[in-house]
Amino acid sequence: MDTLTMTGMLAEGFLVSLQIFAFTLLGSLPLGMLVAFARMSRVKPLALLARFYISIMRGTPLMLQMFAIYFVPYYVFGISLTTDSKWYATIVAFIVNYAAYFAEIYRSGIQSIPRGQHEAAEVLGYSKAQTFVRIVLPQVVKRIMPSMTNEVITLVKDTSLAFSIGVIEMFTVAKQLVASQVSMLPFAIAAAFYWIFNLLVDFVAGQIERKLSYYHD
Amino acid sequence: MTSVEKNEARPVVSLDHARKSFGDVEVLRDISLSVSPGEVIAIIGPSGGGKSTLLRCLTLLERLDDGDLSYEDVAVARGGAYGDKNVLARARQRFGLVFQNYNLFPHFSVLRNVMDAPVCVQGRDRAEAEAEARALLAKMGLAGNEDKVPCQLSGGQQQRASIARALAMHPDIVYFDEPTSALDPELTAEVLRVIKELAAENMTMVIVTHEMGFAREVADRIVFMDGGVIVEQGPAEQVIDHPREERTKAFLAQREG
Repeated sequence: MDTLTMTGMLAEGFLVSLQIFAFTLLGSLPLGMLVAFARMSRVKPLALLARFYISIMRGTPLMLQMFAIYFVPYYVFGISLTTDSKWYATIVAFIVNYAAYFAEIYRSGIQSIPRGQHEAAEVLGYSKAQTFVRIVLPQVVKRIMPSMTNEVITLVKDTSLAFSIGVIEMFTVAKQLVASQVSMLPFAIAAAFYWIFNLLVDFVAGQIERKLSYYHD
Repeated sequence: MTSVEKNEARPVVSLDHARKSFGDVEVLRDISLSVSPGEVIAIIGPSGGGKSTLLRCLTLLERLDDGDLSYEDVAVARGGAYGDKNVLARARQRFGLVFQNYNLFPHFSVLRNVMDAPVCVQGRDRAEAEAEARALLAKMGLAGNEDKVPCQLSGGQQQRASIARALAMHPDIVYFDEPTSALDPELTAEVLRVIKELAAENMTMVIVTHEMGFAREVADRIVFMDGGVIVEQGPAEQVIDHPREERTKAFLAQREG
């Protein structure tokens, strides 16, 4: 098999990796905000629940979480597993796992905004929601960009964990090719895909940071 | 108590028998204060005397444990029991606050800092609010800085922008919490000049300050606070030049070094 054919097969796998990447961000970026709010809530049980959630999600392997979520419908609800189950389990596991990390990044950003900003907004009559959306959130985005970029880059590489549950993404394809072609080349090409895509992530993040550098505080 | 009220109109704000404690420390002990329309009050006194807490209670950033607070027809608190959200929101429309460290919104342009709340909170017409914001900034000597962000301004300019932000809400009264404490002497002068201009326009103001000369010049009434009580109050000639209370004398002697 020539290099071009292998690259084509890996590229197809990479499209699946990218889907995991995109769906995870789509779900975990907003879910993380909800978890962060729960974590900072003055309602004690809610805050404790959020802490527990974050603790489990960060304290156990994502791979294990994927399997747990995969088998839950069967063992708890007796629903028979289909071929799609693995895919949904993967996406759900990635979303709930990354939401925990994002929640803590959001929290660090939100709590870093000086109290004076809240007080100034309060005296001017902004509602709590207006204060968050207009005053706090834009400043938080700027402050958490470096940490968020880190996490997003990690996510690109973590998509390869879906291999363990049998979702056919790029790493799964690479492993199969390495075995069948008796060559390490597919791994090298896969590595190049991850790396180049992360260069792109880094570039986009840099652009956003540059756009937000019009002020400092 | 000497009364220097300019007229008999209903006070803009009145506070009666206010008490406030933080833990075991009683910071405000039975404070009563009312401010008449057009009156300028300077609150002086040593650190920890309760000046800032008083201002924070008047601006609803802190809640009284006991006492009454009202802004004309808006009864904010009765015996330490506060009105609902709507009452507090109505009260907040009556006053503005200028902070010691400005607290401008760093991500907004200077212009947006001044016009955002009028549009977003008061629902005013954008073009009208912008025109007024530009006029206020010009009046504060900040014409040409509308599109800059706060970090591009000097401390004095930032403080003047924050005064414009407070005025854009059309408050009945503006509170100043040590407005020049974070500034160099030369920047202090430009901020004090702006406040004096407002006093000349009959703006009702309560100013917590350490600038004795300024307090004497601008204030109709000086309030000396120490240990959570108003020790002495009256016109500057009385409180600063001929203090009757030992604590006032001691404080002023220390200030003069």
